[in-house]
Amino acid sequence: MAIHYKSIKGSFIDLVPLFILFFITFNGNSVLELKYFTININYILIYYWVLRKPDTMSYGYIFISGIITDVILGLPIGITSLALLFVAATAAYVRVVTVKVSLVADWISFIPALLVGNFIYFIVLYYSNNTVDILYMFQNSIFTFIFYPILWLPFTIISKLMKS
Amino acid sequence: METSRGDVGIAIRSAFLRTGTKQRFSLVVLVILSIILLFVEKIEAKPLNYLRAAIKDGIYRGSLIVSSPFKGFSYVAKKTKNHFNLYKDLEELKEKNIKLGNKINESKFLVVENKQLKKLIDEKEIFSTNVVSSRVMLDKKSPYLNSFVINSGTNKKIKNGMAALNEGNFIGRIVDVNFFSSRILLISDLNSKIPVIIEPNGYHAILSGRGKKNPIIEFLPENYQIKDGSVVYTSGIEGIFAPGLPIGKVLINEKGIGVTPFSDLSQVTFVNIILGDLN
Repeated sequence: MAIHYKSIKGSFIDLVPLFILFFITFNGNSVLELKYFTININYILIYYWVLRKPDTMSYGYIFISGIITDVILGLPIGITSLALLFVAATAAYVRVVTVKVSLVADWISFIPALLVGNFIYFIVLYYSNNTVDILYMFQNSIFTFIFYPILWLPFTIISKLMKS
Repeated sequence: METSRGDVGIAIRSAFLRTGTKQRFSLVVLVILSIILLFVEKIEAKPLNYLRAAIKDGIYRGSLIVSSPFKGFSYVAKKTKNHFNLYKDLEELKEKNIKLGNKINESKFLVVENKQLKKLIDEKEIFSTNVVSSRVMLDKKSPYLNSFVINSGTNKKIKNGMAALNEGNFIGRIVDVNFFSSRILLISDLNSKIPVIIEPNGYHAILSGRGKKNPIIEFLPENYQIKDGSVVYTSGIEGIFAPGLPIGKVLINEKGIGVTPFSDLSQVTFVNIILGDLN
């Protein structure tokens, strides 16, 4: 009985990252807009889980989440998926080339992921005749980078609670 | 230890092409699919439009359900706040009521005079237009697009480019229509450019969104003289919107000539869409 309970609890915790991903996606809160700064929660979420526990964050789900975000926010369909997949690709690459798990290593390697993601956003928005606020994107990149360690901690706790 | 180019190649191949134990798709396949979708977005074909509209309608409904607990929570918070401000609001309303009572008689005269003048210049009255009312379904703050999703679409004969009003004030235009929903691009959005006229001088200009609360006035004539509080209306130039729809008041500051919309764009619940002239 105890083993059965543990197994259910473990399976539930395994689904937490996906649940968060789709919850913020459907709520349209993938980019948190606060008074003086904005943070891209999706980038942090995807980067962390693809880097640390890739089995919990399937690329297919990332793709679908991007499509839903595009529809809800009224962006050209495919742009968020593309940006998120490139963030995931950067995380997958960093996972392959690194051995040691540490906040500082994760944090620094998050910079290219952020730049790649926002660069793709910029390029696609620019070529689809949308006006792009470069200053906003720069601000968003900076604050998302600063915010990474704050989410790193709860994610690491969740990651440690997972069964595998 | 040196990292050879071969190692980097292997790492990139591993990141992009390998499918893990629970990964059914490789990254490269999904990246290509995203790029295809971006190109498909540009293709205008009836079956594709129907498919897009159906998918969007479905996702909007899903989002509405998922975000309902949040909406409920903010509704309760707002009601509680309003409850605590009740006495203060009552005093303010009493004061306003007295002032409005005095103005009613004045405005009755102005309405009669306005009708007579309109007859003289043979202008079509705004009330002869066909309007459909809708509720704001989704109001997600997108960093790249200031817009609303409303609960009417082709089922209520809404088309792209139609003007959206809130309490009689112009707030934006329709940019995307589905079967049961449409998207309104607000005047505050970076991509919004509206031909306007500024009273009392009658200057023609363009109202440009900045992605922030207040849009700005651009392309004014040389040697213009505008005062704070001048009223901005749609000019009706190019026949996109009806002329004379009020938008907001001019607010001059060190950054330029801004416009404070008459409608608070963060508090819109219902909108009227002008379908066209009944005549």
